[in-house]
Amino acid sequence: MMEQRPLWDLFITYVGRNYMRILNLTGEHIMISLIAVGITVMVCVPLGIYLTRNEKAAPYVIGLANVFQTIPSLALLGFLIFVFGIGNDNAVCALFLYAMLPVIQNTYTGIRSVPRSYVQAARGMGMTDFQILLKVQLPLARPVLVAGIRVAMVWTIGTATLASAIGGGGLGRLIFSGLSSIRNEIILAGAIPATLLALFADWILKRAQDYFNPSARAVRLAARHGAADDTD
Amino acid sequence: MNGDLPGTQGGVVFKEVTKTYPDGTNAVDRLDLEIRSGGLVSLIGPSGCGKTTTLKMINRLEDPTSGRITVEGEDILRCDPVELRRRIGYVVQEIALFPHMTVSENIAVVPSLLGWPAKKIRSRVDELLAMAGLPPEKYRFRLPDQLSGGQKQRIGVLRALASDPKVILMDEPFGALDPISREVLQNELVSLQKNLKKTIVFVTHDMGEAIRISDRIVILRKGRVEQEGSAEDIQYSPKNDFVRSFIGEDRLSRMSPDDPAESIVEEPWGTAAPWEGAAGVLERMEENDREFIQVVDPKSGQWLGMALLGRLRRAASAGETVMKGIYRERKLYAGNATLRDAAEMLADRDISIPVVGEDERFVGVITSGALARLAVERLRSGREEGKQS
Repeated sequence: MMEQRPLWDLFITYVGRNYMRILNLTGEHIMISLIAVGITVMVCVPLGIYLTRNEKAAPYVIGLANVFQTIPSLALLGFLIFVFGIGNDNAVCALFLYAMLPVIQNTYTGIRSVPRSYVQAARGMGMTDFQILLKVQLPLARPVLVAGIRVAMVWTIGTATLASAIGGGGLGRLIFSGLSSIRNEIILAGAIPATLLALFADWILKRAQDYFNPSARAVRLAARHGAADDTD
Repeated sequence: MNGDLPGTQGGVVFKEVTKTYPDGTNAVDRLDLEIRSGGLVSLIGPSGCGKTTTLKMINRLEDPTSGRITVEGEDILRCDPVELRRRIGYVVQEIALFPHMTVSENIAVVPSLLGWPAKKIRSRVDELLAMAGLPPEKYRFRLPDQLSGGQKQRIGVLRALASDPKVILMDEPFGALDPISREVLQNELVSLQKNLKKTIVFVTHDMGEAIRISDRIVILRKGRVEQEGSAEDIQYSPKNDFVRSFIGEDRLSRMSPDDPAESIVEEPWGTAAPWEGAAGVLERMEENDREFIQVVDPKSGQWLGMALLGRLRRAASAGETVMKGIYRERKLYAGNATLRDAAEMLADRDISIPVVGEDERFVGVITSGALARLAVERLRSGREEGKQS
């Protein structure tokens, strides 16, 4: 006969006994997510920039990214077993395909929404195309671009729990083992850190966004140079 | 940046320049134009006349289809466009200060592209801000959003001046401003140009603005020069109906009685020097069928008085100089008098009014003819407006 203990009690006991394992899996989860988002940013930001210069290709590329988005995640993971076998590589690849859309789309629309007059002024003052991109277009597109990365980041951390379904690691392990053994406390031990992780990553990116905000930056510059602080 | 070889032509020169757009229209059509060094030249015309295209060809934002353009004696089609643009100041139509950069970063765009050391940039920015009457310690780290429209465009002009270029291009820079800040900035630009002797090419569609600020005005139409000359040349000897209607529609009809009197000032038919004998001057006046003449010191340009026929006859019979026949009380001061004052004076006595500036410097005369032209233009435009409504 099984005695009924409240869920929170079971949860605390489980965490108390397995905190090392939870920490390890959290670390792994962070690793998988960061690698996936890192690859996404490295590939999709340049791709989005490329699309602003080759408008004709834009609908096709964005359409393709959209298709990946619509495939159910578990199905995509299963399909990728044929390509990458089982394990974290497969998971990272699937997460990358998922996170593509918001990053490409926001890079593209962010840069395109920079008013032509700024680009014209920059060119007229003698900036090269690359300088215009670096000094004018990207800084002005940054709020939109970072918003895209935030969405990708939160999705990736959430979806990374599925990695364990195809032999990968991460907090998904706890969730799946909890599901198969019908032990809610184990599910919670996986789900709660994953949620906190997603919230935390989002918060960090938001802070970064605020930090680089032009008016915050202007205030810092003024303070550093000891100027009279009268930005009314 | 030693682009100007000795003996080569300064300023900006267009030779047989044509710009054809892919759809076959000629934005600029075999344009010949010489903009001398150190002048402020306005390019003006109705929309589609090619004024902005002409301007953008100078810094190669547009390249001509055929023809030759030289800047400070250098064929610009042989220059690297990026390098060329860094040597030419550029002020754009929309207030295009970069919103993510502080005021000093905006001003420093070109110097930092040119790789100036940070210290030099900082002192240059402070110097420019002070010159524009914006205390550097207060404005250095402001963002464009924290400035008024007039301040923004002032920064836009400073940005073009930052690397001390010889040539500055301005594409309707004051178009978006309210009338008061526009006038303040126009005056600032004129005095700036007098001090710094830049070659400024200024695109505008506002004839009043062109007349107020420029040494020379180039009226363009369908990519060709319709008339070129000083503000007076164009106002009082328009070459054809197009120029006449362009000036009329754009300027005279919009003038109000409170506009400055000097805006309709013209050259007198002739002047006399103070040491000339009254008899000789009298003869000249009778030849030209005139009743009065302005006496101006040819060396200092100072206005000494106005000689009237009757008094001059008396002076001539006494064998005196023209100075015996002058009359000094009737005049207007430039900067103070309005068109209304001029009109009242002319209604009182129909003799041209001399306009003098500081230190009695002679500016020109206001004739009843000029005022009548203005009145006719006002009536005509008033009636047209009446018809439309």
